[in-house]
Amino acid sequence: MKLQWRLATLKNGLQDATAYRLEFLIQILSSALVPAAIQSVLWYAMFVLGGKTDVAGMTYAQMLHYTLTSILFTQIRGGDNDFELAEMIREGQLSNYLLRPVGVVEFVYLRGVAPKLLIAFFCLLAGMGAGWAIGITPERLVGAMFLALIGNIIHYQISASLAAAAFVWEEAYGILMVKNMIVSLLSGELLPLNLFPPSMQWIWKSAPFYLYVFGPTQYALGRWSHQEFLMQLGVSGLWLIVGWALIRMSWGLGIRRYLSLGG
Amino acid sequence: MKTLTAYLEIFRVQFKNNFVREAVYRTNFLTSVFTDMIWMAVEFSLFKVIYANVPNLAGWSQDQVYFFLGTFFSSDAIFTIFFQRNYWAFGDLVNKGELDILLTKPVNPLFLALTRWMSLTAIFNLILGLGILIHYAGPAGFEGGWHWLLVAFWLLIGVTAASVLRFMFSIWVFWTDRGWALSRLYYQFFQIATKPDPIYPRAIRYTILTALPFAFIGSVPARALLKGLPAWEYAGVAIVLTTFFSLDALLWKRGLRRYQSASS
Repeated sequence: MKLQWRLATLKNGLQDATAYRLEFLIQILSSALVPAAIQSVLWYAMFVLGGKTDVAGMTYAQMLHYTLTSILFTQIRGGDNDFELAEMIREGQLSNYLLRPVGVVEFVYLRGVAPKLLIAFFCLLAGMGAGWAIGITPERLVGAMFLALIGNIIHYQISASLAAAAFVWEEAYGILMVKNMIVSLLSGELLPLNLFPPSMQWIWKSAPFYLYVFGPTQYALGRWSHQEFLMQLGVSGLWLIVGWALIRMSWGLGIRRYLSLGG
Repeated sequence: MKTLTAYLEIFRVQFKNNFVREAVYRTNFLTSVFTDMIWMAVEFSLFKVIYANVPNLAGWSQDQVYFFLGTFFSSDAIFTIFFQRNYWAFGDLVNKGELDILLTKPVNPLFLALTRWMSLTAIFNLILGLGILIHYAGPAGFEGGWHWLLVAFWLLIGVTAASVLRFMFSIWVFWTDRGWALSRLYYQFFQIATKPDPIYPRAIRYTILTALPFAFIGSVPARALLKGLPAWEYAGVAIVLTTFFSLDALLWKRGLRRYQSASS
């Protein structure tokens, strides 16, 4: 029974996301290619127009490899499930879910992660197909994708905890938007995090966001040793525990204040 | 003249209604201000990191890029105040048949559709954007004096460009029924507008100055204010915006012919 509802939820999430296939495709392609194109343009400006041969220890080719590889992982991170949770609390629809024998936080996650798993599968295939050109081995790619998927869970845990702010504040979506903006910079989606000057490195190192895109990309490209990768897996395990505790605490406190208005 | 007065009066009433509505939701105001401040901070941080590694980017110094950001934020804030919500609601107008009520009014339905909602909280963003623009004007090499009058003109160009482009991405809802994907696509392309256009390779730069003129939102205005534009580029701005305006008008008319009034 426990496995059954989870599988059914995954199936439902996948069907929901792909109901409008063209829209699904446009969304994936645009959210993957446009940021990558902008990143490439920045490297073009720095290296080709600016005449630089080396920036933060990386050559033009290495920057482009980073950008191309990071596309595989930017599509895995996050989603809009946290906004859905906040909206459910705000509008009182949460009541419908509280009556069901499933955990609402997990239910929303599973529904949202389903299309991400499909994308992860296609990204793996694409990475294995094209990765040989820049020296990405299949085993590194699988490991990197695994880390990216753990990053997806951590991201949701943090997001769901922040969404619990909707129990006390109607405009909690603002916190989620702020979180998304910070994540876009500190996950390595906009630029490799080693470009941060040494005095600012602590910023991304003290948050888990680098495990979403920067970490997997570094490992896939061979810039992290297997030992470093295992250590980062350990770090992600710790963040998973922290995330789990955050959810328990925020939702435990929030649900006591829930008034079930509307719905 | 009488018609213009009538439209101005409608606009005044819409403005007043929106002001009353937003005054009620004060926390919404604070949230919007806070999220936009973070957005600005992220854009600044991105360039801060880049300039920590290189002294200039395609001939643009750090101060010049910050001046560009000020121009871009100001132009975007004006667009947000007057148009953004209307474009998000545009899909519902068509899908849910809400356009019916606008079509029955004795004024241009498009005018009503695009002025119904305003986000007056974004006025604070405009103040912030202008603050950034003014702060970096001197270090960026802006001449000042009477050139300040040109700032208003170029901000108007930026808002016009954003509006005709956003319209072009929204109008297809008459044919596709769901406008969500194209709206998201607009905001993906919009990221292009957050960088100065000289950094782009020739083909992309040509595209964002012609077919998808996202560079007109902030980059071209900032470049015009700081460095001036050659005559052909002024002509280019006029031709592209006029073409987009005409195409938008044509598609609106064609769209109306397809409209099926979903609510009836």
